[in-house]
Amino acid sequence: MSTNIDTKQFIACQQCDALYGKPDLIQGQSAKCVRCGNIMAERKVDSIERSFHWSLAGILLLLPAILLPIMGVTLAGQYHHASLLDCIVALIDRGFFMIATLVFLFAVAVPVVRLFGAFYITYTFKFNKLKPSLLPFFRAFHHLDSWAMLNVFMLGIVVSMYKLLDDTELSVNLGLLAFILWLISSTMASIALDQDYIWQELEDEFVN
Amino acid sequence: MNLLINTAMNNNLALCPQCHKLNKLRSEAAKREKIQCVRCHGLFYQRKPQSLQYTLAWNIAALIAFIPANLYPIMIIYSLGIGDPSTILSGIGQFIDQGLYPIAVIIFTASIIVPLLKIIGLFLLVYRVHTGVRLRPDKHSKFYHALEFLGPWSMLDVFVVALLVAVVELGFVTSVAAGPAINYFTLTVIFTMLAANSFDPRLLWDKNQDKEILKEENDN
Repeated sequence: MSTNIDTKQFIACQQCDALYGKPDLIQGQSAKCVRCGNIMAERKVDSIERSFHWSLAGILLLLPAILLPIMGVTLAGQYHHASLLDCIVALIDRGFFMIATLVFLFAVAVPVVRLFGAFYITYTFKFNKLKPSLLPFFRAFHHLDSWAMLNVFMLGIVVSMYKLLDDTELSVNLGLLAFILWLISSTMASIALDQDYIWQELEDEFVN
Repeated sequence: MNLLINTAMNNNLALCPQCHKLNKLRSEAAKREKIQCVRCHGLFYQRKPQSLQYTLAWNIAALIAFIPANLYPIMIIYSLGIGDPSTILSGIGQFIDQGLYPIAVIIFTASIIVPLLKIIGLFLLVYRVHTGVRLRPDKHSKFYHALEFLGPWSMLDVFVVALLVAVVELGFVTSVAAGPAINYFTLTVIFTMLAANSFDPRLLWDKNQDKEILKEENDN
């Protein structure tokens, strides 16, 4: 077929490779593939502002969420509590290095890097400090997409609370509140981030 | 149903998986070669090479790791110096004994059903794409996305054990230790996630399109 296609005029579905003319979306609209139903492109409302503020909130909540104790137990007059970081330290103490590393990666490192990444990208857009190094930076950012598991960790907290509630006296600490807020702000920061828009802007600026 | 839809591949275009930019292929040979994206400079292929083989390999690894994950204890509860080991299944049994049915269902889904469903489901998808028998790309691609979405939730049990080990640390009175199964179980989860990532859902549609073209040629 013809090789003189202007690639700027077309988009393809990431899931089934169907080719479409590029839709002209206004904020809040999205384009769905008619063949497989995947949302191919989305123009998010007020993306840079929203993502900037959510990621800023996430960065402020980061230290309390990781360091403050999430919950504690009392049994036979003894009390002990643990934070997210204590979980990792406890696993290292018992010799479970692989699990400690992976829990650290999925519940701490990847979410933290994603937050700072989203913050940095939206900061450069907000204050118009675009530079070519953002291209590889944003590309690397996408590789982390499927490895952040804060929401799973949250369900883990709920389940272990149920388990402890049965035969110990359970107390909830401030760390839980910080963790929930951290989960909300990092989720919102990545939902609000409009990747199509960012790529388009970077392309207009630096490619050709 | 007309499934002969215009695809990027038919037009000698390849979609960058990172920045979703369409790239022109320079030659026929470029179909199997590494392409550098003009926008983000990332390297990619038009279709993931050997996608089915990689998926199959990770899947087999996941299945193998799943066996010791269920045989070894995942958690050992010490109370007054006496250890009480429990496997994933016996842990679920304890929840049922205590009458905590919702939690038992959640753990059973996350630790047993989801990994098994992922392993069996991906085997099925690989088989269907390979042979083209009863291939329904619309249904199968939705199924694939469900599998991809469910993947990380299997880590639930690992996080629960990590939390319990850290929180329940009351010296001689009671403490919780992790068991060897947690290593194998984590490996199962990671391997199934890698297997799902290796699978290229576009192959479902490619195969279907090939079949449709073949059918049309036979009809004429």
